Amino acid sequence: MKLLAESGGAQILLPVWSEVIVGAIAFVLVCLVLMKFVFPRMEETFRARVDAIEGGLKRAEQAQAEANQLLEQYREQLAEARTEAAAIRDEARADSAAIRDEMLAKAGEERDRIIAVGKEQLSAERQTLIRELRSDIGSLAVDLAGRIVGESLADEAHRRGTVERFLAEIESEPAGTAGRG
Amino acid sequence: MILASGFPPGVEDFDFQSLVPPLGQAITKITLLAWLAAAIIIVFFLVAYRKPKLVPTKTQWLAESVYGFIRDGVSKEVIGTEKGVRFAPYLATLFCFILVMNIFGIVPFLQISPNSHIAFPAFLAIITYVMFIYLGVRKHGAWGYIKHSLILPGVPLPMHFLLVPIEFVSTFLVRPISLAVRLFANMFAGHLLLLVFTLGGVALINAETIWFRPLSVVSWAVAIVMTFFELVVAALQAYVFVILTASYVESSLADEH
Amino acid sequence: MDLAAVTGSLSSIGYGLAAIGPGIGVGIVFAAYITATARQPESAGLTRTYMFLGFAIVEALALFGLVLGFIWSK
Repeated sequence: MKLLAESGGAQILLPVWSEVIVGAIAFVLVCLVLMKFVFPRMEETFRARVDAIEGGLKRAEQAQAEANQLLEQYREQLAEARTEAAAIRDEARADSAAIRDEMLAKAGEERDRIIAVGKEQLSAERQTLIRELRSDIGSLAVDLAGRIVGESLADEAHRRGTVERFLAEIESEPAGTAGRG
Repeated sequence: MILASGFPPGVEDFDFQSLVPPLGQAITKITLLAWLAAAIIIVFFLVAYRKPKLVPTKTQWLAESVYGFIRDGVSKEVIGTEKGVRFAPYLATLFCFILVMNIFGIVPFLQISPNSHIAFPAFLAIITYVMFIYLGVRKHGAWGYIKHSLILPGVPLPMHFLLVPIEFVSTFLVRPISLAVRLFANMFAGHLLLLVFTLGGVALINAETIWFRPLSVVSWAVAIVMTFFELVVAALQAYVFVILTASYVESSLADEH
Repeated sequence: MDLAAVTGSLSSIGYGLAAIGPGIGVGIVFAAYITATARQPESAGLTRTYMFLGFAIVEALALFGLVLGFIWSK
């Protein structure tokens, strides 16, 4: 092979064969190594990276869904508990009203009964008093009459008036005095 | 060797002496740099991906972002989301190989890209050429692929006499040649450009006229700026080579025009 | 002295001529990309690929000129 300088300018476009061979071997070597060992692994790494990112997203989604489900469950339970509590409260309120009514009714009854018993006792006592007074009046009247008759019969007409007035008073009195006794 | 060259740099600056004379051009600085590029790429990726983790380390992240850039930015974008992933490993390998070799053009002490010898771009272009023709034939059948690539639908018959040769030239001749020449010429021109300014600085400092001598500093400053420009070109050409390969593959796999 | 005489490489002039068209073309490609991006910023990613395709194809012409300039330099 002539050197470039010896053969004029046209030689710059004619390849030196030994250089072509060297270039071919070097390039094929680079191709083999890179295309066999490096770039396929790079593609794998790219894919693994995408997988990792997408897998992470999927996992996060799953966790989110689970959390949402739990939240929903809790909410349901809470709502249930709330209605239950409200029901219990309502019931308690109704119960307490009923109990109060009952108590009131009972108390009213008791009061009425006590009043009735008191009245009965009073009337019974008044009857006995009246009866006692009636029996006493006779003896009193006899006492008074004896005394008056025994002392003097002077002024008979006047005394007669007194006795009569006295009797009339007694007649009208029992109703008034008896109530007080 | 570079400093030994005369001022107007020319094609002779791209010749390197054989390091082992019996093997001729098989072992020169250029081929050693090609081996070095291959070694750097292989070692870097194997080390970076020795133990891949879901949460990447810095080296792993760098390796992944190179691959991800070609996979998502070129392969999926140009070829299509489903079919593109299949071609991503090859395109990424191609990109790394070209990029590392291009960047050798501005690495101190290496200072030349193997791609500035047509042998390397030509080989890479031939792989692309064979690949897109093979894929087209596999998908459409031999005759179907020729019809698919040469005959535009919905064109009146007389126009085909004009269009078929143009399509043939552009698909089967210009594509591989432009692919190889573009990469080669960019690296070739970039190296020449750097030589012009560095050797120009040397020439200026040795100038007869004393007033020219300080201008060498300007020349070297421009050389430094051009080095950064070459970094951009190196990355851009690697990207363009890959994107064109992807677009040729896509045109072979397309159902219709 | 012949004023119209040209010394040096004719192919340099050839390359200079060859670079005019691609220079304009590359300018148009990037101008169109900037216009498209300014009008519809969300289309930047969509059109970037096509910009690089167009840039690469146009640029190839200039590089052909460069290479051919070296081939016929002698």
